[in-house]
Amino acid sequence: MRIFILLLLGSFFSFSCNQKKEKNNNSKSIVVNGDTILKIKPEKTINTYEPVDVSPMDMSYFPADYPKLKMDQPTMNPPIARVVYSRPHLQGRKIFHDVLKYGEPWRLGANESTELDFYRDVTIQNKKIKAGRYILYAIPEQDKWTIVLNSNIDSWGLHPDPSKDIARFIVSPTKISSSIEYFTMIFQQTTTGADLLIVWDNIEVKLPIVF
Amino acid sequence: MKKAITLITVFQLFFFCLLAQSPLPSVDKSPMDMSYYPDKYPVLKIQNKITEPLAGRIVYSRPQKAGRVIFGGLVKYGEVWRFGANEATEIEFYKNVHIGGKKLNKGRHTIYALVNENSWTIIINKETDTWGSFKYDSKKDVLRTTVPVQKMDTIVESLAMVFEKSTTGCNLIIAWDNVKVSVPFTF
Repeated sequence: MRIFILLLLGSFFSFSCNQKKEKNNNSKSIVVNGDTILKIKPEKTINTYEPVDVSPMDMSYFPADYPKLKMDQPTMNPPIARVVYSRPHLQGRKIFHDVLKYGEPWRLGANESTELDFYRDVTIQNKKIKAGRYILYAIPEQDKWTIVLNSNIDSWGLHPDPSKDIARFIVSPTKISSSIEYFTMIFQQTTTGADLLIVWDNIEVKLPIVF
Repeated sequence: MKKAITLITVFQLFFFCLLAQSPLPSVDKSPMDMSYYPDKYPVLKIQNKITEPLAGRIVYSRPQKAGRVIFGGLVKYGEVWRFGANEATEIEFYKNVHIGGKKLNKGRHTIYALVNENSWTIIINKETDTWGSFKYDSKKDVLRTTVPVQKMDTIVESLAMVFEKSTTGCNLIIAWDNVKVSVPFTF
């Protein structure tokens, strides 16, 4: 029993140490531990040129952090993929059904349509997808999400036009134990390519991309 | 004892899972934004209100003044400034354009500025998908053009970029702190 308690304590210590490390890594940013509400000071006067968006835009590459990697290795191969999306936040709401409704198309972001660039041909669920630029939207349901690749680029996220769909993919959502405040998309390496990870609140969805 | 060891293993696995969960990216302090020419093109597109074809777009991050002196302070005179924050600012044209009498081919480029008190040299570079201007390489410049600085009475807190219509094409307006610059593109 004593050993048990010791090991238990050990686990706790190793956990808290790691937590500290993570916090230190993030110390440059206001956001601690990845996902508390950002404290951008509201502008005192209205920005007459371009007000700052409530849902800020962001960009993720595969390989992850490609632009930073390229700084150190200017000759490295081009990236594989990039997603440009805006990040709505929960602000006390639940993803289902305060923000999204089952069966209704969702822009997978906010503001401008979410844009997915492939720098080379890829395969998703056995469908060949040509290199180029697409927009993404989703139709979330309780036990499956339809992820749609559409050609209506440079458009606003509302009212996607299904006549311009390129391909539709069915994926399974998983429940995660924590709640993620800001809508998040990243690429994660797999043995056959990368998953596009789509996370918000307690839902995680993976779109597997093969290349 | 066996039970205890199993419990410990489960416990440690649980913590390992917590740690192994890849950290999701936090929200950037300088949020990214996007401006099109024609202005608000994506909104016009879904409203069927497009009156002229898509010409250009800029994707940039928006640092805040946060009480600092920006030009001549945070951004040193005579140095190449990243023209934003985080990922290098990307300017894309959907057709060939001219800037300062020089031709710029359609496609994606990065954009930087060599900032002085009364003028900025706008630099268009071909190294895309990179970060900031830390490894800026003038050998990869596509073109440079110099534009005058306009001083404003008001303060713009967050760096702002927007395209406006001109008689010969469009101007890219850049405003931050009490400084405004207009870069003319013709097409």
